[in-house]
Amino acid sequence: METIKSYLEAMFAGMPNSAEVRKAKSELLQMMEDKYNELIESGQSENTAVGTVISEFGNLDELADDLGLTREIEEVRGKEAETPRRQVTLDEVQSYIENRKKKALFLALGIMLCITSVACPIFSPLTHAYTVGVTLMFLCIGAGVGFIIYSGFADSEFRYITKTLCQIDMSTASYVKDKRRSFEPVRALCVTLGVVLCVICWVPCVMFSTTNAVVVGPALLFPIAGIGVFLIVYSNVLIKGFDILLRLNDRTTISGSYKDLPDSEVQYVSKTAQTIAAIYWPVVVCAYLIVSFLTFQWQITWIIWPIAAVMHRVIMINCVKSDE
Amino acid sequence: MIEISSDVIRGYNDTMILNILMKEPSYGYEISKQIRSISDEKYIIKETTLYSAFTRMEKKGHIESFTADQDPDGNGKKRTYYRITDAGKEYYRSKCEEWDLTKEVVERFIEH
Repeated sequence: METIKSYLEAMFAGMPNSAEVRKAKSELLQMMEDKYNELIESGQSENTAVGTVISEFGNLDELADDLGLTREIEEVRGKEAETPRRQVTLDEVQSYIENRKKKALFLALGIMLCITSVACPIFSPLTHAYTVGVTLMFLCIGAGVGFIIYSGFADSEFRYITKTLCQIDMSTASYVKDKRRSFEPVRALCVTLGVVLCVICWVPCVMFSTTNAVVVGPALLFPIAGIGVFLIVYSNVLIKGFDILLRLNDRTTISGSYKDLPDSEVQYVSKTAQTIAAIYWPVVVCAYLIVSFLTFQWQITWIIWPIAAVMHRVIMINCVKSDE
Repeated sequence: MIEISSDVIRGYNDTMILNILMKEPSYGYEISKQIRSISDEKYIIKETTLYSAFTRMEKKGHIESFTADQDPDGNGKKRTYYRITDAGKEYYRSKCEEWDLTKEVVERFIEH
């Protein structure tokens, strides 16, 4: 069945993304699916069934005439002639992804260095070298800021992807989709680990609070939080790169769109779920402020945030309809 | 083996579809299956031909489409069905007459 779907997808690659075309596509798919299912039921092999269905499909030129699509196809071509879209090739897409990895790495490293830098002067009482500690801190911040600026320039040769109108063809899109899909578990792991690290970063403070080396706790807090943030930033920047590529095509491009258009909103499983999702963060903010002002323990009440973030993930998984 | 020329039969795809819809409303694949079996497997209508016939006839008001659940065992998936309109029935009658005339004329030039 997948073969039939991609065949149809390829046949429609030259059509505009209008409602009429989408309807035609889904109706044709339905007919092909019916035929395919019946052939399989009658005991034919998968290959024979696919072959028969495709050979009896016909051609789209006839359809384009009858649907009055000739005009629409002309229109899209006209638009293309007016504001030509740059075709991004597979090679370019590959080097964009490679480059994106570099950008993500430097940005995440930069942020991590800035966060970690604070640990240097905290450590220094142990070694009785305050100046060294402070100097190290500024060196770290300097390097961190340098990395962040560098990451901003890292993708300047690919600026055209966001600044000009571009499009990708179907095979390139499926390449990007595959890459994205295989990165998805890595990203989930990175984000989870990152959040966990941020949540537990105060643990050393408690562990060392009764020992002689009290400063070790706060000194470790920053590197741990830094690594957590590194993981989150790195994986998010990378995944956003894939999404940028998949969003290049839209209604006006001649090839299909490969990413849900932005107007498709999150679907909730029920009205209650929608309400919960809507009031979640306001409630957290209120709780944080109330608890903090009542107790005046600001140094500890921030813990509400990481906990709320983890809970939000869990709640959203149960509230949002998945596409599959 | 001789195959039906699609140029010749094109003008009568609509007639065949309307004939099937005269009996009861139906959907894409079912109609194509009936055309195949009524014609003794001599004519297999292409999916694109069928779909463009649907859109063309719907625009002209000869048929109407509606969505309904798939067969009784259906899993809640919707399917587009077509039914014939009065204008469609009228059009069908005139096409039948037209064919009688065409057949009569062409027949006179056919020698076996």
